Amino acid sequence: MTTTDIEQLHKLMEDALPELEALIGWQPGYDALHAAPAIARTPEEASRLVFNPFCIHNLARTVAKTPPPPAKEGEAPKKIGVCVKGCDSRSIIALIQEGFLKREQLYIIGIPCKGTIDLRRLMKLAGEDLRAGVKSARIEGDSLVVEGAKGSRSFPLEKVLARRCMRCKYPNPVIYDVMAGDPVIPRASEEEAHKDVDAVENLPVAERLAFWQGELDRCIRCYACRNACPLCMCQDRCIAETRDPKWLPQYMGLSEKFIFHFIHAMHLAGRCTECGECERVCPQEIPVTLIKEKLNRITKELLDYEAGVSTEAVPPFLTFNPEELGI
Amino acid sequence: MSGKIYISRDGLAAAMEKLSRTMDVWTPAASAKDKWGVEFALYEPGVKPILDRQSTLSPKKTIFPQVEPLFQFERTKDPEDPSKTLIRLKDRPDAKPAIIFGAHPCDARGFFTFDKVFMEGPYKDPIYKDKREKTVIASVVCRECDDACFCSAVGGGPAEKEGSDIWITPVEDGYVLEAITPKGEPILEGLGAAATSQQEAAAAKVQEEAAQQVIAGGMKMTGETAEFMKHFEDKAFWQSAIAGCISCGVCTFVCPTCYCFTITDEARDTEGDRLRSWDSCMFYHYTLEASGHNPRPNNTDRYRNRLGHKFAYFPEKYDGMIACTGCGRCIRNCPASINIWKIAQSLKEQADACM
Amino acid sequence: MSTLDSAPDAGQKIIRIVGFLCNWCSYGGADTAGVCRFKQPTDLRIIRIPCTGRMDPLFAARALIKGADGVLVSGCHPRDCHYAVGNFYARRRLELLKHFLPFMGFDERRFRYTWVSASEGQIWQKVVTEFSEQIHQLGPNPGVEKQPRTCDA
Ligand code: SF4
Ligand code: SF4
Ligand code: SF4
Ligand code: SF4
Ligand code: SF4
Repeated sequence: MTTTDIEQLHKLMEDALPELEALIGWQPGYDALHAAPAIARTPEEASRLVFNPFCIHNLARTVAKTPPPPAKEGEAPKKIGVCVKGCDSRSIIALIQEGFLKREQLYIIGIPCKGTIDLRRLMKLAGEDLRAGVKSARIEGDSLVVEGAKGSRSFPLEKVLARRCMRCKYPNPVIYDVMAGDPVIPRASEEEAHKDVDAVENLPVAERLAFWQGELDRCIRCYACRNACPLCMCQDRCIAETRDPKWLPQYMGLSEKFIFHFIHAMHLAGRCTECGECERVCPQEIPVTLIKEKLNRITKELLDYEAGVSTEAVPPFLTFNPEELGI
Repeated sequence: MSGKIYISRDGLAAAMEKLSRTMDVWTPAASAKDKWGVEFALYEPGVKPILDRQSTLSPKKTIFPQVEPLFQFERTKDPEDPSKTLIRLKDRPDAKPAIIFGAHPCDARGFFTFDKVFMEGPYKDPIYKDKREKTVIASVVCRECDDACFCSAVGGGPAEKEGSDIWITPVEDGYVLEAITPKGEPILEGLGAAATSQQEAAAAKVQEEAAQQVIAGGMKMTGETAEFMKHFEDKAFWQSAIAGCISCGVCTFVCPTCYCFTITDEARDTEGDRLRSWDSCMFYHYTLEASGHNPRPNNTDRYRNRLGHKFAYFPEKYDGMIACTGCGRCIRNCPASINIWKIAQSLKEQADACM
Repeated sequence: MSTLDSAPDAGQKIIRIVGFLCNWCSYGGADTAGVCRFKQPTDLRIIRIPCTGRMDPLFAARALIKGADGVLVSGCHPRDCHYAVGNFYARRRLELLKHFLPFMGFDERRFRYTWVSASEGQIWQKVVTEFSEQIHQLGPNPGVEKQPRTCDA
């Protein structure tokens, strides 16, 4: 975002704040390469909110699962304001579709998004240089420019963007009350969006198993992927953790890890909007969103459905059509 | 003779190979091909040690694995009286000697928290004790502090030797190794050539430079019980501090001092294991009671506990020892970039402001 | 179900196929096949479910992950569901699973779903025979574990 965009964003926030219970946005994190979700209630707090390529968190999750409680108990809550990127906005739509959020309770500030950074990709490129003392970072054209301790360095965006952003079809929020900034051009076309799925499918079946064994072996079942997912709604009742029914023992074998990921995947089938949060938060760098990308592609091919683009649509596995599938 | 030895960068694998003949050698290595993360793995030929970057998960798993069977059990019928069930227990084998080769000073100090709980209280955990006593810790002088580190604020430091048995100092082209406890000495015997005085001087310089790094603005923390208790009921404080916390277990799983565990019996038919596995105070189920009541139902309550445990309850109980080594892992790996250090500090600042 | 007649030769792994059959149609169909003494292979272990609408695709996935050699799901024909629509829901879910399994590295031929009514004993015989033969050809499912486990809970 340019300085004028930020000013525009702050202006929109300022205007909206008096009518809102609270405004959910991002604040600077512990260094210039991090941001963190924040809840603002006062103009002063709102003035600290930022938007930059490190605002990687999907705030739809915050609104849906840990919304700020009303400041005054007993009073009817006002609307909750939330800043959204393209992907966040699709999660909000999916949540409205399923009745977890009500449109009229939200005030949505849409932000056209040029992409967010995958810090591990960046660190792999930059290594030592960016470990400490980074002063600022911004997107300029097709590069990420970082002012580090040892001067300025520039990285090509396609080498440092998150995988979800490399394949993003909806960088512009799909649902919003106001939009901060001009729309941006999507980075990926329909065909390109699933090229990572193709890469796995080009392997013979046995090698695909080996691929997932290798990836999932690192899983520590911290459940960050599940908890970060705006649409994982069982939350504290997740069958991966309940002892009754008991789907999973505490062992850390591959079968437990496969079962857990099948659980997350199947429960998200026809619902996942590919926001990529599950993959971003994974401390073990497991490409968990890839699993859901495949499910989404199947859903698209079989049932011609894409999640999180229309608040009116019914998720395909919550309904049926007697005529279909020819079986 | 100083007893210091030198191992060249290229000779590291051979040294580990040699050690691995008699003991488990844990060393940080890339978690997988093409991944950025570093993980402690058992050395085997082909494993390339990475000694200059912090691992994602701390090495606590080498002594306190994520899951470990406490014993195996088997149910049989009593042949004398078939209405009775007999339970036969199989003990676990004794631990193998091991070395953690390439811990960081903050990793090594992490075990102090475990020691207090598992070895120094009224109940001594034999399984932990066995492994702990048989494990040698070789730490690297740390030159990789970043903005999440705050080791020197909580009693440690990038060149703090306490907690380690062997001191590994990276110098040009190799490492100078030095035993700093009697436990470390036999390990180094015959592992490399004696260090030359030049190499020793280079190592001393590296150590000195490492010790001079200013971390966390030179702040110091002691137990913050009073400040913490002042903020205990301050819901707004906790809410704004952890707005994005998703109650995942990442912070506790990566932490070198988080020691909470759960015990479950995992059985099939007549056989099974009693397992001890990592639990996390950030999980809803951690405090869920059988009645269905949960005293810590939301993320603010849980985070408050995590911070309180490390900076208030633990020091109160164990002579002021803070149950955090300032390694910064929970900050770096937190999906919501929640900063335990900043929150602990702001407790203090705000308490000061109140006075 | 007797395992005697399928007792494996020494060293040969037993083939285990898990069948999820709905109470109203396919379970009845299997019963009809039994009552009529149609000869069937005996590798199938049947689990009765109230309706294929209850068939969580994860039941099948878990069985395959845990090393079952095949999973067969069978329910009432579409439009004949005892609960009117259970199998319509099931059809979407199971079709999804069928397409998804190979992506995760499971041979899709190990999973099959079909519709058999209570009177179709002969069709049931055919389904079981074909599916069992197919699984025998594929051989044992390697499962996902790479290391032996102390307990298979
Ligand atoms: S997926 Fe699209 S909208 Fe979301 S962060 Fe990436 S570029 Fe922005
Ligand atoms: S976040 Fe990663 S490590 Fe944690 S449970 Fe999910 S996949 Fe496993
Ligand atoms: S499964 Fe992953 S990509 Fe899909 S909605 Fe959830 S967090 Fe986003
Ligand atoms: S503080 Fe961060 S790492 Fe810990 S539970 Fe909350 S979100 Fe997860
Ligand atoms: S609480 Fe955080 S900084 Fe402290 S030891 Fe644990 S992971 Fe490291």
